[in-house]
Amino acid sequence: MDWLQTYLNPKTVIIAFTMAILASAVIIAGCTDAGQTGPSEQVLTIGMSTDVPLWQNSNFPGGDGRFVWSQIYETLVRVDTDLNIEPGLATSWDTPDDGKTWFFYLRDGVIFHDGTPLNADAVVYSYNENSYVRAQGALQTIASVEAVDDLTVKFVMKRPQPLPLYLTHVAWPVVSPTCVDSNGNFIKPIGTGPYAFESHTKAQQVVLTKNENYWGTAPTLDMVIFKVIPEASTRVMALETGEVDMIIKVPESDCIRLENTPGITVSRKVSTFTDFLQFNTKTSPFDDIRVRKAVAYAIDTEEMSETILEGIGIAARGRPYSPVMLYSNPDLALYSQDPAKSRQLLEEAGWTLSGTDTIRKKDGRELKVSILVGRGVWAARHIQMAEAAQSYLSDVGMGLEVKVLEDGALNQLESAGDFGMILRSGYFVWGPYPRHFWLHSSQYPNSHYQNEEYDRIATAADTTGDETRQKELYYQLQDMVIEDLPAFYLIHEEKIVATNDHIQGYTITSEDPWLNLAGITVR
Amino acid sequence: MYAYIVKRLALVFLVMSGVTVITFGAMYLAPGDPAEIIATARYGQDLTPGQIEWVRSTEHLDDPVYIQYLTWLNHIIRLDLGRSLITFDDVAEEIAVRFPTTLTLALASLILSLCIGIPVGIISALHKNAFLDYTTTSIALLGVSMPNFWLGLILIWFFSLYLRVLPSFGSGGISHLILPAVTLGASMAAITMRLMRSSMLDVMGQEYIATARAKGLDKRTVLFRHALKNALLPVITFSGLQLGFLLGGTVIVETIFAWPGIGKLLVDSIYARDYSMIQGCVLLIGLLFAITNLAIDLLYASIDPRIRYDRHD
Repeated sequence: MDWLQTYLNPKTVIIAFTMAILASAVIIAGCTDAGQTGPSEQVLTIGMSTDVPLWQNSNFPGGDGRFVWSQIYETLVRVDTDLNIEPGLATSWDTPDDGKTWFFYLRDGVIFHDGTPLNADAVVYSYNENSYVRAQGALQTIASVEAVDDLTVKFVMKRPQPLPLYLTHVAWPVVSPTCVDSNGNFIKPIGTGPYAFESHTKAQQVVLTKNENYWGTAPTLDMVIFKVIPEASTRVMALETGEVDMIIKVPESDCIRLENTPGITVSRKVSTFTDFLQFNTKTSPFDDIRVRKAVAYAIDTEEMSETILEGIGIAARGRPYSPVMLYSNPDLALYSQDPAKSRQLLEEAGWTLSGTDTIRKKDGRELKVSILVGRGVWAARHIQMAEAAQSYLSDVGMGLEVKVLEDGALNQLESAGDFGMILRSGYFVWGPYPRHFWLHSSQYPNSHYQNEEYDRIATAADTTGDETRQKELYYQLQDMVIEDLPAFYLIHEEKIVATNDHIQGYTITSEDPWLNLAGITVR
Repeated sequence: MYAYIVKRLALVFLVMSGVTVITFGAMYLAPGDPAEIIATARYGQDLTPGQIEWVRSTEHLDDPVYIQYLTWLNHIIRLDLGRSLITFDDVAEEIAVRFPTTLTLALASLILSLCIGIPVGIISALHKNAFLDYTTTSIALLGVSMPNFWLGLILIWFFSLYLRVLPSFGSGGISHLILPAVTLGASMAAITMRLMRSSMLDVMGQEYIATARAKGLDKRTVLFRHALKNALLPVITFSGLQLGFLLGGTVIVETIFAWPGIGKLLVDSIYARDYSMIQGCVLLIGLLFAITNLAIDLLYASIDPRIRYDRHD
C-alpha cells in the first residue's frame, strides 16, 4: 500500500484529473467518424430496431429482419407501393383448374448474386418440403412443386387456393440452391434482389452491396448498411445527428416533432395492419353479443386516433380490414360512439347499476373484465389504447383491468381462456390479401369464437378461383364481423419512415415488411 | 492461507452446482408452455397445433425433466452449450462474441467510478462539513438519483446531437465507449465516493489513528499508511459486487446505446424464450459472480491479516 502513499496526494490527484480530461478531449477529437467509403459512393445507412435473426428459409425472419430480406431475396409475385399485384420473378402465371394447379412462368435471364441462373429448379428448391412455409407455415396446402421445363414451375395444391397472392410474402422468397453447401450447411444468403449480402455483424449491422446484374431497374445505391438500434429514442437521435439516414418504425409520439424538425422528412402511409380488441366469446360476459356490442358503442375510435396517436392512423370504427387491402368494403356499416345505446345494451343483457355503484352487476357478480396487452413492438401504442378503453368502458359501468404481459404469460392466459379481451395488431397480415379472416375461424386454436356459418364462408372465400365470387364472400365475412363482433377493430395503422435531407427519392409502401429502396439517391 | 483458498474454491464449486439446478429449473417454472412459446418465437403468431408438437418433439421437450437436466449437464461440462432454439446459432460462440464487449464496458465504467469515487471521497472526508464536502456530496446525491436511461439519453442529446462530438450508438472505437461508460460509471462513482467518505471518517475517528498522530507521525503518513488501507475494505467489497453485476450486462445501457453485450442478449433471449441461450448466459453470469467474489475474498485476505489467519472462518 506504499504506492498509494506515494501517488495519492491531492496534488497528483488534480494533475491526474486534468490529464484525464485532456486525454479524453484528444480522443474525442480524433474519433469523430471519418466514414468508411469515398465521397462519390452512394451509401445509405438505415436504423432498425432488431437484428436479422436468421437467413435460411427453414424459419420465419421475425422483427425487422424482413426489411433486410426484402433487399436480398425476391418473390415470384410482387406488390407495388400501393399493394397492386405485379410480376416478380415470374412474368405470368395461370391456373387451368380454378386454383388447384398453378403454373408460374419465370423471367428469362435472371441470375442470383453468385451467378447461378434462376430456373425452375431454384424455385422447386425454395419451396421444398423443409422450407418454413411448407413445413409449418401458411402453405402446408401445397401438395407438390415440380419443374415442367427450365422456366416453368407447376404447383399442385391439396385444395384450390389463390396461390399468387400468398407468394407475395417477403419471408417466403426464392433463394438460391447455392445458399447451402453439399452437406446442407448454410453458407450465406444468396438471392436475386437489387442488393447482395456482404457482411453481418451480430447485433450491430448488416452490410449489403449493389447487385450490378439486377434484372429490373438498376439499383441506385452502392452500399446499404442496416444498423441495429433497439431503443426508439436513440434511433430518432441517430437520425438527427446524421449517423443514420433513415429510420423505420418511428414511434407515433416522435412523429409530429420530427415532421417539424428542419432537415428531416417523415413519410407516412396507411399500412395493412389494424389494431383490434379480440373478445373471448366462449365465457361470460362476452359470450353475450349485447355485451360485445356495448363495448363497440362505448369506444370512440376517432377520438382515440386524434388524441392518443396524435392523428396518425385511421379510426377503424369496427372495420376489420385496412382500406388499402384487397376486398376491404368501403361502404361497410361502421360503429359510431353511442354511450346511451351501450348502457341500454348492458341493461338488456342483465347487467344493471343500482344505487351509487359505478360498476354494473348481474346476479351479484360485478361486470369486471381483463384486457391483455403484449409487451411487444406495439406496446407503447397499445398500452395507451388499452387505458383509453378502460376509461370509455368505465363510463358505461364496465370495469376493465389492463394486464401488460410478456408473450409467454399472455399465451398462457390465452390458452387457458383466462381473459376478457386481447389487444392485438396485424395477425396473419401481409400483402393485400385478407387472410386475416382465418383468425376468427374456429379451425384456428386462438380464435375464441365459434360460428359455423363464418367458418363455411371463410373456407369458401379462400378456395375459390373466381375473383368476383371471392370479393362477394369477403364482403359477407366483413358484415359478419361487424354484426357478430368476434373482435372490435380500432385503428388502421400508419407506417412511418423518417429520412434526413441526405436522402432523395424515397417512396413509402403500404406493405409492412417491405422496404422500398428503389430510386433513392444520397447527397 | 492455502486452506483458505481451497475452502473458497470448494464453495465456488458448490455455488455453481446450485446455479445449474436453478438455471435449469427456473425455465420450467416460468409461465407458458415452452413448446408453444418457442414455436411462436420462431414462426410468429401464425401457429397450428402441429407446429407446436413438432417443436416439442424436435427439441426433446417431451422427455422427463430429470433426463433433460442430465443431458444438458453432460453437454455443458464439455462446454457445449447447445444451439439457440430460435436462430440455431451456437450458444457458446454467441456468448464468446458478446462477452468481450460487456467486459470492456464493465471495466471502463468500474475504472472510471474508482478514479473519481476514491479520491473525491477522501478529499470530501478530509474537508468534512466544509464547502468542498457539501459540493461533492451534493453532486454524488445527484449522481445516485439519476436513472440510467435518463442520463444516457441526456448524454446522447448533449454530446451527440448538440455538440456532435460523440457517436450516439454502437460499439467500436473508444469514442463509442465514452457515453455508455460515463452513464454506468456516474452512479457507481457517486456511491463509491459516499462509501469512501463515510468509511474514511469512520476510520479517522478510531483510537489507533489518534495514537499514530500522538506518537508524532505526520498527517499524510497516518492518512495513507494507517487510515486508507482500512477504509478501502468496504469500497473493495462494493466494487467487486458491482463488477459482478456489470459483467452480467446492463440491459438498459446496452439497449439505449445499441451496445451488443450479454445483458441485451439475455433479455432478448428471455422474451423469445430461447432456453438454451438463457441457460448459457445465466451460467456465465453465475460463474462470473462466483469468480469475482473469490477474487474479493483473496484480495481481502491479502489486505486484512485477520481474515487470513482466522481458522474459524
